[in-house]
Amino acid sequence: MSVSTALLNRLRDLTIARPRPKPLRYGLTVLAIAVVAFVQVALFGSSAPWFLYTPAVVLLALFLGPGPGVLATVLSALGAGLVVARTDLPLLLTPVHWGASVIFLLTTLGLVVLVEALRTALLDADRLREQREKALVVTAEREAFLLGVLGSSTDCIKVLDLDGKLTFMSEGGQQVMEISDFNDVAGCSWPDFWQDAGNVEAKAAVEAAGRGEARSFIGKADTYRGTPKWWHVAVSPIAGPEGRPDRILSVSRDITELRASEEERGRFVRLAENSTDFVGMARTDGSVFYMNDAAKRLVGLEDADITRLTIADFFPPEQVETIAREVLPAVGRDGHWAGELDFRHFRTGDLIPVLYSVFPITDADGTLIGYGTVTRDFRERRRTEDDMRLMNGELAHRLKNVLAVVQSIASQTLRTAPDTETASHNLGARLVALGAATDVLTGNSWRSADLHEVATRALAPHGSIGERILLDGPAVTLKPEVTVAFALALHELATNAAKYGALANSTGTVALEWSVMGQGNDAILSIAWREQGGPLVSPPTRKGFGSTLIERSLRSYFRGKAATDYRPEGLVFELEARLGDAATVNE
Amino acid sequence: MGQSKPIGSNTILIVEGEALVRFDMTAFFEERDWRVLEAEDADQAMSVLDQHTDIRVVLIDATVSGRMDGLKLAYYVRERFPPTLLFIVSGQAPVPQEALPQRATFLPKPFDLYRVLRQIEQSPVTP
Repeated sequence: MSVSTALLNRLRDLTIARPRPKPLRYGLTVLAIAVVAFVQVALFGSSAPWFLYTPAVVLLALFLGPGPGVLATVLSALGAGLVVARTDLPLLLTPVHWGASVIFLLTTLGLVVLVEALRTALLDADRLREQREKALVVTAEREAFLLGVLGSSTDCIKVLDLDGKLTFMSEGGQQVMEISDFNDVAGCSWPDFWQDAGNVEAKAAVEAAGRGEARSFIGKADTYRGTPKWWHVAVSPIAGPEGRPDRILSVSRDITELRASEEERGRFVRLAENSTDFVGMARTDGSVFYMNDAAKRLVGLEDADITRLTIADFFPPEQVETIAREVLPAVGRDGHWAGELDFRHFRTGDLIPVLYSVFPITDADGTLIGYGTVTRDFRERRRTEDDMRLMNGELAHRLKNVLAVVQSIASQTLRTAPDTETASHNLGARLVALGAATDVLTGNSWRSADLHEVATRALAPHGSIGERILLDGPAVTLKPEVTVAFALALHELATNAAKYGALANSTGTVALEWSVMGQGNDAILSIAWREQGGPLVSPPTRKGFGSTLIERSLRSYFRGKAATDYRPEGLVFELEARLGDAATVNE
Repeated sequence: MGQSKPIGSNTILIVEGEALVRFDMTAFFEERDWRVLEAEDADQAMSVLDQHTDIRVVLIDATVSGRMDGLKLAYYVRERFPPTLLFIVSGQAPVPQEALPQRATFLPKPFDLYRVLRQIEQSPVTP
């Protein structure tokens, strides 16, 4: 601070800094003028009567203000006038003295005005200085505030030039970007920090900011040290003095964790969305607020507004009460309910068997806000169960029929046998043939049996197939109802052959040949059993059960012609039937 | 043309598609001096019924084929020949009593022929 300024300050402090009360100021003025008048008279008498007053008035005006200055001037003029006044003069003063008095008054008042001007100038200077000091304080505070904000923000706040080059980065920003010295990155192109789509977005955002537009995007960028992070970025122009963008503000927020939790939540959303089960949610009042695509498809609500629906709308009327009385109370009590119910298709009205599973949905505080369901389409399962029931019934039916056949064969065997040992032997062998036939049938779910296979199984116990017993014929698929009788008939033929025919010695052979003449169901199936090389044949005197069984039963089952010819060189049995009556015909 | 006269003859009609089973029943009754008429299906049975008016017992397998099934045939017999004794047999689910014609007996397959014979012998010849 210069000497003159110090002097001025001091002068100001003495003169105007401390305003005094009016009576004091005017009292002091009167007193000071009185003292000056006394000193003036004592020192100079009547010569130079205004000499000391002028400095006194200037000092008073300076220290006490313009009012006291004017008063002091007037009092000084009066005081000086009194000293030179003469009572003999009509105007008390000589014209010279009048003139001098007026000049004194004018010049002194002029001085008072000048002093006042000085005082005002001092005051203005003072006020200006105070204003400047205050302004400085405000500026400093604002700067500190802004710096505090920038420093404490965990966002990465950057200022770029219009080319996208970094010119500033907040301290918090340097921390999250893992930059220890901003000089390392100052001047670098900011979009280059971004990868893939983020790079494109960043370049576009810088361009947009150059045009005065704000942009924001989400992108992936590594920190300076290479930690991969996801960011939400807002890029906006900073207007220059002329209002046009001259710099760019970029604020990036680290959303890596947020994104991770969103991704996790997203996975759960997709779990529900992509499930092929019916997934839905409803509020506690039953109003539906979510259904996945599989759910909408199952009940025919693909393009429908689901928000007007309630849980009850999904069920046929007779099951709605079950939901209200049994299901929802159980969910409240046990935390879940699962069971088989039927959904109603919204367009067709068809019932859809489902395995309905319900559980409570709570908010983050655990308060019940509704019900959730993961429901499985049970149509296929129900169909399978129905099929299974049917199959069981069918199986029981067949089993009983087979038992009835066994019963018949047993009783006829016993009825015709000469003794129990023969009966036991014959019955055992017949049951084996029956078992072989049922084996072939069960191998094909009791739907059909291959003629060749049935013959092989029924005849194998009686002789080597291919050596003593020769089979020849096209593929024919026998119906199940003829298979058992056919197998039994072959068994009886072979048994007789072993007793009296071609299989009774070691050289005879049996040929079982079959052929199909014609097309379709009306084709003729011919089966022939020819024995040769056995002992000489003569017709039996009495036909046993076996022989009866062969002809009669095959005639009945095949609805055809059957005949046995006891030729001397070997027995021949021939069967002729409509193919459609005996076999399954593939057309 | 229904016959109201009691039937004193020992004639039985067996309507059974499974020949092996039918042969056994035929043999069983023939051994006991019954005249046995056989039919493989309902159509054959109806023509036999038309030709013989002295049939005392009709035994029908409920699953026989033809223009009508065994149960319908049983109703036909009951209506046309009221005094006839009726037995209905089946390897399938039992036919409930209320679905049977009056005075008909249902027997699940396999069944006991001696029981059938006893029941026939105990039935009064005169109603």
